[in-house]
This record gives sequence, C-alpha cells and structure tokens, in this order.
Amino acid sequence: MVNVDALRGYAADLLEKGQVRAVIGYRRGTAGVLAQPCTIDEAGEAETLVWDPTCLNNLARYLVEDRQQQAAAQTRNKTPDGRPVAIVAKGCDSRAVAVLLQENYLKREDVVIIGVSCEGSGVIDPRKLAARPEGRWASRVDFAGADAFKVTVGGDETLIPARDLLADRCLECRAAAPALNDVLFGEVVTERGLDEPFRAVKAAQGATEDARWATWEHHFDRCLRCFACRAVCPMCYCPECVVDSTTFVNTPGTTAEEKATRIRWCERSASVSESALYHLTRAIHLAGRCIDCGECERVCPVNIPLRLLNTKLEMEAFEQFQYEAGRDFGQASLLSSFRDEDPNSFIR
Amino acid sequence: MEKILSKDRLREWVDALDDCEVLAPAFADSVWNYARVEAETVIDLSHTNTINPPKQFAFPQREVFFRFERADGVPRLTPTLPDPRPTVVIGVRPCDGRGMPRNDTVFSKEFKDPYYWARRERLVLVGLACNQPHSPNCVCQSVGGAPHAEEGLDVLMTDLGDRFHVKGITAKGGELIARGGDAFASLQAGDPAEVARVHAAASSHPQRPVAELGTVAEAIRARFDSPLWEEMARHCIGCGICTYLCPTCHCFDINDEVTNPNHGTGERVRTWDNCQFPDFTMHTSGHNPRGDLGSRLRQRVAHKFLYFVENHGTQQCTGCGRCISECPVGIDIVAVVDRVSRA
Ligand code: SF4
Ligand code: SF4
Ligand code: SF4
Repeated sequence: MVNVDALRGYAADLLEKGQVRAVIGYRRGTAGVLAQPCTIDEAGEAETLVWDPTCLNNLARYLVEDRQQQAAAQTRNKTPDGRPVAIVAKGCDSRAVAVLLQENYLKREDVVIIGVSCEGSGVIDPRKLAARPEGRWASRVDFAGADAFKVTVGGDETLIPARDLLADRCLECRAAAPALNDVLFGEVVTERGLDEPFRAVKAAQGATEDARWATWEHHFDRCLRCFACRAVCPMCYCPECVVDSTTFVNTPGTTAEEKATRIRWCERSASVSESALYHLTRAIHLAGRCIDCGECERVCPVNIPLRLLNTKLEMEAFEQFQYEAGRDFGQASLLSSFRDEDPNSFIR
Repeated sequence: MEKILSKDRLREWVDALDDCEVLAPAFADSVWNYARVEAETVIDLSHTNTINPPKQFAFPQREVFFRFERADGVPRLTPTLPDPRPTVVIGVRPCDGRGMPRNDTVFSKEFKDPYYWARRERLVLVGLACNQPHSPNCVCQSVGGAPHAEEGLDVLMTDLGDRFHVKGITAKGGELIARGGDAFASLQAGDPAEVARVHAAASSHPQRPVAELGTVAEAIRARFDSPLWEEMARHCIGCGICTYLCPTCHCFDINDEVTNPNHGTGERVRTWDNCQFPDFTMHTSGHNPRGDLGSRLRQRVAHKFLYFVENHGTQQCTGCGRCISECPVGIDIVAVVDRVSRA
C-alpha cells in the first residue's frame, strides 16, 4: 500500500531542504468525489497531498505548463529559479514524463519523480461510478486491494469489484507502476490479468470500413470542439496548434497582408468534416507518443471514444516496430529512427 | 392552465404535435443529451440534466448568416435567415429554463438578433421539475431559482409517480397543452396538494450555498486585482467545457468560410466562441489583454456574478452545475465565488 503520510513527508522534506521549487500532486477537490491537481510551494502545505483512485489527471501536463512559464520568465529577462520540480506520478504519468524527456522537452535533472503504485488496480472511471445507484453522491473512493474499491456514500461504505469501476485505460494497462522514478511508494505489481492490451481497438476495427466511418461520423458530429482533449494531454504541447483560428501568433511585425492570406487549415465550425480533420491530425501527431493515459477520453463531455484513435496507432507501433511510447526515455523515438529490419510492406 | 397527463399518454400528446420538431433527452454514448423524438422513440424522462443545455435550439453552435459567391465578376449575397419548424423541447430542467430569458436579453437589448429570434420565436420549452437534485453540484436555489422554477419555461411538468401534473405558463405553453386534447385529464381534488408536497420535498434538499448572493458582485469588484484569481486558475487547462456547456454563455465568433476560392464561394458563419481560449481576446497586434489563466477565470466568474448584474439586474448563473461537474481539473465556481467573497 502507498503510505500517504510517508509521501507527504517526502514531499515536505524536498521543499524544506530546498531541493525542489515545487511539488505537483493531488489534493481533495471542493466539489464531488474526484481529487484535483495541485502545486505545493511550501513544506507546510504537503499535508494536503492525497493519493487514491480518484487521482485521475496526468500531472505531466503541468510539467509542460511549468516549462512554458520558465521560458516566459526568461524572455522577460527574469532569471527563473533553476531548481527541479517534483511530480507525483502513477504509471501513465511517468510514461508521459519519459516521452517529454525523450523529446528533450525536459531535462532529467529538472524533474524529481515521486512514483506511486496503482496498487495492482488503477483509477476509476467517474462515468461508471455515476451510473451506479447513488454513485453521484459518493464522497470517497479508496483502494481496497487489487480487486476492489471502497466507495463511501453518506456514512455507508461498500466494496465494489475493481473491474466494475476501473477506467478502460487501466483495464488495458501494461505497466501499472511508474518504471521511471526517483522514489517509489507502494509495491510494483506486474501481474494484472484484467484485460488484454488493445482489446477495445481490436474489437472496434473488426467492423467494416463503412460501419466504422458511420460510427466516427456519429462521434465527430457531436464534438463541441471545446479542445479539452487537447488541453489535458501532456503530449499536446505545441505552442500553436494548426486548428486554432489564430494559428501562428501575430506580432507587431506581422503585416496585414500576412494576416489576410494566412491559410486556415481548420474552420471554426464544429462540423463533421472540420472535427474529423482536428481529431485525425491530432491522432497522427501523437503516433508513437501517446502513452494511453486516457485523459483525452475521460474529459470529453460528450464521451467520444478518443482512446480508440490513439491506441490504434500505438498498436501499430507495437506490433510492427515493437515500440512502446514512454517505456524508456533513452530509446530513439519512433518517427525519428530507422532500423534495417523495420517492416515496409505499407510503402507502396 | 393545469392538467394531469398519465405517463402512458405522453406519447399521445407528442404525436399530436406532428408539425413540430420534438426533442427529448436520450441516454446515448453514456451521456444524456437532447435527441429528436422519432416514431419508434421511447421517451424516457428519468434524465439527470442533459450534457448540452437547450440554448443550442435558439443559438446553434454554427449559424450561417449568408452565402456569398462571385458570378461574372460580380459579388452576390444570398440571405439565409433560418426558417425552422416549430420546435418543442421536452424535459428541460428549471435551471436551464431560467437560462433562456437571460439569453433572450443578450440577443435583444440593444439589437434584436434576427437569427436568434427566428429560432427562438418558434421554440417551446416544456420543463420538468426536479424531484431531487441530480448531483451535489446542483445549486439552483442558491442563485435564486428552484427545482420547480417556472421562469423561462412555457410548460412545467411535475412527476407525480404514474402521472405528470402539467402547467401552462405562457400562452404558447397553453396552446401546446390544448393540442394534446383528450390525452390530458382535469385535476382531481388531491392533486394541487400533491404537487405542492412534491415541490416542497424537492426544495428541502440542502444545496451548497453561493456565498451571500447579494454581496458577491461587490466582492468581485473589490477583488478585481487580487492574486487569488491567478492562484485559483493555476491548474486551469484553458479548455472550453465550462462555457460551451453553460446554459447562459453566449459568446460567438464570425468567420467567412470559403468553399471555393476561385469562384469566391462561401458562407459567413457565426460559431460559439469562448472566453477561456487564449485567442478570444487576442488583438491583431499580437497583444492579449487577458493573457493569463487567472484573468480568464475572473472574466467568466465576473460575467456571471458582476457584469450581468450591473447590466441586466440579475445573476447570469442559474446553478445547473455543469461547469463544476465537467471541469477536468476540479475548478468549482461555487468555491471560487466563496473564496472571493471571503477574501
Ligand atoms: S473533449 Fe470531446 S467535445 Fe471537446 S473537442 Fe475533444 S472530442 Fe470534442
Ligand atoms: S492522446 Fe490522450 S491518452 Fe494519449 S497521452 Fe494524450 S491525453 Fe493521454
Ligand atoms: S456558470 Fe456553471 S453552474 Fe452557472 S449556469 Fe453556467 S454552467 Fe451552470
């Protein structure tokens, strides 16, 4: 079991000794059952850190935010505090950090990874919880071994089989403990046997091409283009995205002619064609990079099964090139490397 | 006009509205959302609040203003004012009902928006009172509403077990009930008391208080430059969930969408826009007056609880709870208002 007090103590110690400038972790939210991301700057605040199955966010997203702020400080001629930032990381968060390191977005010495084990299970899918009687009124969810969660509603505690509440990404997860860490709380559990990797995408691609297109038309049609999927993704760190209306920042030097003739790759209308363009572009840009934290799918308010798009590409990477994003930050990245034995049957 | 509608005769009423587009909540893809009622649809009104509020039926995410083309070198514009069939939305929750008159105000006060009103005038909202809150984030009463509030609705239905109590609130609503003819029955002696009992029971559920509602506007004004905003927005990811799902957020963008540049063919389109996106306030110079997350959070909260009060005399938030429940990082407008008020 992760000893949360020990975790808090470790975080407080890092801050006390001035070894890190902040600790990114989870704390209790003010509304509903889910924990929320937090950044602790003072040792005294480390008491508020939590670790339980409602810690859904991929916190690597905030390392990206932090780096951008450090860069902004530098352009304002301020010398940023160069000490590292610590991050509480479960398996998928640590894989995301590994990709950021591999892509040289971060340097290894700039981050302290406080690994937490998923206790052999994982985190919950709030929609599965909400679908249960009284599920919307749950005030706590705790780990209860590898096979169950303890759900508290009012004064009542109920054990619910983990399988019934686990997020789909966790059911398919291949590495439920952070392989990349500076310290690890809880035990590494490798045997899970919940679901085979890529099960959902394998099932989905069994349908005919027409049926698949009809399905995705249905999904893209209800996309609101709120861009939560992109905003929450630790790998979507481009400062400008091709689908934004102001793609490529204007500066005082940008001429009127340049502004007027700029290509708009994607219209603002949330129509099937524009939303398909957005999602397919995003999926391609994540090939060999998505670590399947499932956050994009989790946050989608209309529940578009976005994991299918990304895991399809990750499955290709795995099956054809034995490549797993986030496995090892020292490996050459999928798209920038070539091996003589790589299959090339798809090149026509 | 007050009537009783047995639940097994709801479909009869809907069938009588055959010249209308009828929408009702449907549970699909694990979310409740409005869907067109078809011949085979089984209407299920056990819904929590729908993920999208009904604002889309007057203010769709995409509205074409006009089409343009160039014929023999001469530009030609074709107007595209919408001309929809009468649209009846069934099962609107009272918080969303209260959202509609707020949108009406925005789209009519200084300028009557013809596109909005072409749809709005043909829109009939049939509300359904909530017999209990749907989640801990329902805060309708804390912002001056109620689980059976009538404001903005044309009809209010109350679930009495095997039957609905149906009340016509506007003339439009009364006509809609009249079209159901025999499907409706008169109230029996005990019915008014039963309706009152159900409403009172629903109102008795405690809700999270929204600070001292009367003093919130002043508090926000006083704390405009507070570092609290930046602190509270520290983990905001800047997505559009809170605004796009809000029953009263109404900001939009206007673009020309060119389909064939050689013939100058295309459409001028209004789409939803969103104060949480960085490009919302981006000037052509590249300067962004709301360049950080804190100022954008402040904008949204101040619009709901300060600017709207100043401009139109009431809060703009109707307490539906969507922005709280759906925020990916747990930003909670009730807690935000509370902290600003107590700072
Ligand atoms: S989160 Fe969902 S609705 Fe929002 S842009 Fe992504 S897919 Fe579309
Ligand atoms: S694409 Fe989705 S699943 Fe993949 S890293 Fe990004 S948020 Fe996580
Ligand atoms: S501000 Fe939030 S709670 Fe208030 S009406 Fe809008 S979405 Fe609902």
